[in-house]
Amino acid sequence: MAVLEVRDLCARYSASGPEVLKGISFSVEADDFFAVIGPSGSGKSTLIRCINRLVNPSGGEILFYDREVTKLRGRQLRLLRRDIGMIFQEFNLIDRMSVMDNVLSGRLGYTGNLRTLFRAFPRDDIQHALNLLDQVGLLEFVDKRADELSGGQRQRVGIARALMQNPKLLLLDEPTSALDPKISREVMSLIKRMTTELKVPCLCNIHDVTLALEFCNKIIGLQDGKKMFDGPAEEMDQSMLDKIYEMEVL
Amino acid sequence: MNKALAPPTAAKPTVDDIIRSQRRTRYARGAFFTLLLIMVVWSVKVTVIDDTDWARIGSLANVLKATNRFIGIDFSLFPTLIGPAIETLMIACLGTLLGVILCIPAAWFGAHNITPYKPITYPLARLMMTLSRSIHEIVWALFFVAAVGLGPLAGVLALAVRSIGFIAKMTAEAIEDIDPGPVDAIRATGGNDFQVVIYGILPQVLPQVLSVVVFEWEINIRRSAILGLVGAGGLGLVFFRQMNTFNYHGVTTVILAILLLILLGEVFSYFARKAVI
Amino acid sequence: MNRALDRQPATPQREWSRFKFPGSLIKYGIWLSILVFLAYTVKYLDIPLDRLLGMFGRLGSTLANRYYPPDIEYIMDLDYLEYVVETIQMAYLGALFGLLASIPLGWFGSYNMTPSRLYVFPIARLISMGCRSVHEMIWAILFVTIIGFGMLPGVLALTFFCTGFAAKLFAEEIEAIDMGPVDAMRASGANLFQIMLFGVFPQVRVAFTGIAIYTWDVAFRAATVVGFFGAGGMGWYLKRNILQIETERVAAILLSIIFLVLISEVLSAWARARVMKMK
Ligand SMILES: Nc1ncnc2c1ncn2[C@@H]1O[C@H](COP(=O)(O)OP(=O)(O)OP(=O)(O)O)[C@@H](O)[C@H]1O
Ligand SMILES: [Mg+2]
Repeated sequence: MAVLEVRDLCARYSASGPEVLKGISFSVEADDFFAVIGPSGSGKSTLIRCINRLVNPSGGEILFYDREVTKLRGRQLRLLRRDIGMIFQEFNLIDRMSVMDNVLSGRLGYTGNLRTLFRAFPRDDIQHALNLLDQVGLLEFVDKRADELSGGQRQRVGIARALMQNPKLLLLDEPTSALDPKISREVMSLIKRMTTELKVPCLCNIHDVTLALEFCNKIIGLQDGKKMFDGPAEEMDQSMLDKIYEMEVL
Repeated sequence: MNKALAPPTAAKPTVDDIIRSQRRTRYARGAFFTLLLIMVVWSVKVTVIDDTDWARIGSLANVLKATNRFIGIDFSLFPTLIGPAIETLMIACLGTLLGVILCIPAAWFGAHNITPYKPITYPLARLMMTLSRSIHEIVWALFFVAAVGLGPLAGVLALAVRSIGFIAKMTAEAIEDIDPGPVDAIRATGGNDFQVVIYGILPQVLPQVLSVVVFEWEINIRRSAILGLVGAGGLGLVFFRQMNTFNYHGVTTVILAILLLILLGEVFSYFARKAVI
Repeated sequence: MNRALDRQPATPQREWSRFKFPGSLIKYGIWLSILVFLAYTVKYLDIPLDRLLGMFGRLGSTLANRYYPPDIEYIMDLDYLEYVVETIQMAYLGALFGLLASIPLGWFGSYNMTPSRLYVFPIARLISMGCRSVHEMIWAILFVTIIGFGMLPGVLALTFFCTGFAAKLFAEEIEAIDMGPVDAMRASGANLFQIMLFGVFPQVRVAFTGIAIYTWDVAFRAATVVGFFGAGGMGWYLKRNILQIETERVAAILLSIIFLVLISEVLSAWARARVMKMK
């Protein structure tokens, strides 16, 4: 069964604006680490943000475990988002909160308003957060403020926060573009290791084609909102890459 | 990976540690807010509950009835509002302008990079600014009414003096933030101090200063609308008269007129500031 | 100019003038109309320009003769000091209630975080604009006529005024936040309240504290005069002495106001510096 099935997805940012996604279809299986590549402005972020509805699609269908999600609202939408973790290019941590609170904020979808107000998370959540922080190697940093960390450390907090949700799918929007090449590779392999362990399928925007080929088993190539390529990573070759990135040269 | 970097003595935190420390912050915060609450309740009791003549206010129904008197518009007042409205607007304009003129020395003395003699002129300017801001416009107006008599002039002077503080402070800050490059360049071509100000400083701060002036003008409309309460002309006088003759619909009408004037001012200042920046 | 071009095609004579045809004309036109307007204003308001300078001289002598020396004993009186305490209490209650009301109002009136851009946003904006536009003196007079003399109308007047004042600043602050953490919270399935607590509040906390201090400053200044029309505090003393032409006492009261405002300014400047360091 497909975890995620996207059919003819279209998106635009304003009613009169240009179409940013022009009918994209693909499906993600349970053990996939899916890469979305394409030149800047081709619509990668938009695609990923449509899936957890941070951007509302203007047409098409998104099936998440066979459930149509493009029309969800309110509580139903929050329950969907709770099942989909997300990791951001700019980390999007809450700078003035501690690492612990940042990781715990991944549980907000499971937490009531009163507990949120007093930041009184259940014991199990704290235990879970400690385990995750241990796995990403930040256990000593629990009480540090998020803005005191380095880029790589911040992204690890972001990973822990996303996994805190016990997600059934992980969305990654260029998780390594703000990091230097060495740290990028470390972070990618950390993500790969943990998601394989937890059996979480991933959909990952990535700028760096070598990283994509190294860590991902399937690839989608986007160009100007259209799908140019969809297949196993092994089938990707230089001529295809040239075709996908030709617009960027111009 | 990072474990090697961590100090060797750092013990691994356990769930209990974290829950305990969280609880501690929660208690501290709770104590703080309880204290605050007690203080507030106490002053509410002293200032509001004990001080108020509850018998006079009577029931909530009475209050609502008293409020209800204000609902309605006195259309017959319209023709008499136009003159004072224009007067209010003009007092605001002149007051702001005079304020700008008066603030030139204050801004010059108050910017620590161009103040002529720092130990004396700088504190002097700061004192001027604080004096201007710390006295409410009503008090300034009373003061000038006593000095120059009833009428718009007192209002203009009051607004001017009251405006010095803010305009001068913002201008001085803008001057302190300028790029020293152009100033050095003018100096290097042999310009004197006056030329430095005109060519090196003024062009850099002008947009900001103009925007501050427009902002202050907008606030001055609001202020000039009430100066009439103490006899300094404008809509405030009409307001006072309606209040004294118990024409509550008239009071509402005047307030609406003031709101309209302020709205106009806001729209104008929005576009003016856009044009300036 | 055309002929010049014909003769020397390689290096045309360039002409430059400060005056550019439509642009400069409009600019000078605007300045001219401003001047005309100002001249007309002076005439309309009947301002005796010729006597203006003399007036300042008179002002100086009035100050020296009638307002000096200030009657310091009068303001050292216990009764008066009680009014000072009342003024402070009124100011801080007004500021506090105003701030409490303006937090939700600022949230609802911020374009990026409002629960509904179509309904809640304009209503919140309208309320805060209304509160802000009506001068605190007018609020005071209105409340005095509705509920009578005393501190309650003063506190209410200050509350309304502070609400409008702070709500606008809060809303602007919320509109200036980084939306990244907000997106992250939304993506984790948090509701709007949780997003405010985790995504927005930590970002604006310091700025809000600064605004709160600023609001206190403004409220305190206003509190010294709302008593003028019977709304409690030292304003009432001021009015009474002005009416009785007790100029030396008036001078003393004014001095005490300036002194108090100075203290409050120093304290809040210190507090603001502390808060900024906390960042
Ligand atoms: N909030 C927005 N409002 C309007 N247009 C937007 C918005 N965000 C993105 N766009 C437009 O949508 C198009 C696709 O943007 P998107 O961010 O999805 O590209 P991307 O492939 O992620 O690029 P990058 O690699 O630079 O992150 C771009 O043309 C962009 O200008
Ligand atoms: Mg992107």
